[in-house]
Amino acid sequence: MPTELPYAADAEMSLTYDELEVLRLQYQKELAQDHVTTQTKFNLCWGLVKSPIHEHQVEGVKLLQEIYRAEPARRRECLYYLALGHFKMGNFEEARRFNALLLDKEPTNLQAQSLGQLINKGAARDGYIGMALVGGVAAVGTLLLAGLIRRARK
Amino acid sequence: MAPTTATSTKPINVKLLLIGNSSVGKSSLLLRFSDEQWLPEDESSATIGVDFRVHKMDIKGKKVKLSIWDTAGQERFRTITSSYYRGAQGIILVYDVSNRESFEALPRWYSELETYVSSSVVKILVGNKVDKEFSRQVPTAEAEKFAARMSSLFIETSAKTSVGVREAFQEVVESILDTPELWENPANKTHNTSGGNGGVPGGVQVVGLSDEPKQDSGCAC
Repeated sequence: MPTELPYAADAEMSLTYDELEVLRLQYQKELAQDHVTTQTKFNLCWGLVKSPIHEHQVEGVKLLQEIYRAEPARRRECLYYLALGHFKMGNFEEARRFNALLLDKEPTNLQAQSLGQLINKGAARDGYIGMALVGGVAAVGTLLLAGLIRRARK
Repeated sequence: MAPTTATSTKPINVKLLLIGNSSVGKSSLLLRFSDEQWLPEDESSATIGVDFRVHKMDIKGKKVKLSIWDTAGQERFRTITSSYYRGAQGIILVYDVSNRESFEALPRWYSELETYVSSSVVKILVGNKVDKEFSRQVPTAEAEKFAARMSSLFIETSAKTSVGVREAFQEVVESILDTPELWENPANKTHNTSGGNGGVPGGVQVVGLSDEPKQDSGCAC
């Protein structure tokens, strides 16, 4: 029996408020002690990027960029979640760029491949919505115009 | 909506979780099971966080929709992958028969299960990479005994040659179907017998700082 396409699970599943709070508290605690471990910071990023809230995603991406610069050993994970974060924010071009960097290093990475499909789908949908908006405006305009013409004829 | 017809056509949703040390072959087992594929070691990459696949099966005359969650085995993901245990009905614990260390790590994985899932959840211990028989470090009998002690099913597999792979997933699902409290309810029933957890574990904490039970998140999507 066929399997549905592999799926970037983190794209849709978010943490509960309390779970994210646990991660944030740990981060703030270490921040107050002036010693933030990469693990703690990364865990928070992960929770933020998964969140459905836009500000969370923005914050997550910003912190991920810091880790990316500071910790070469964490780069592949950062790339993946950077791509995911931008994807969730609707920045499909950015998402594609980070995902492509990961695919450069790991061409057979199935997760990056499926995230790539999601990004393409998202970008295409954006395109359709754009067209639909333009089309919708045109249609409404036509109706209004028709109404006006009819009224003018009466 | 007529509930009688709905239940006979609607597939049963089953959530499985693959756990175990890194590079024991969790993702390879999933790839072999779902796509009949195999990637050689140099082409496969360590899972980042979690991966996820949906697979449909007919078992014992029932339609089953499997969602299989493949978690990263690396230590660095340990704290965050625990959040994926929520709602799992079956756990597939994987070790590598040619890597003693991956077998010795099992008690740690089991203690995590104790924390995060209810005891009725079906567990299967899977000794993968039997194609490396020549460098085996974990005797079958020993692992079998350990599995029995941990009240888990047991099977040896090779994702490479596909020995035992289908059987492993099939056995877990059959065993879940034999445990109706794991899958009967809660979505399509109006009244809920809140006595059991319905297979849904209670509070799942990411790093476990608080002990309060959690409510389900409001998002049903």
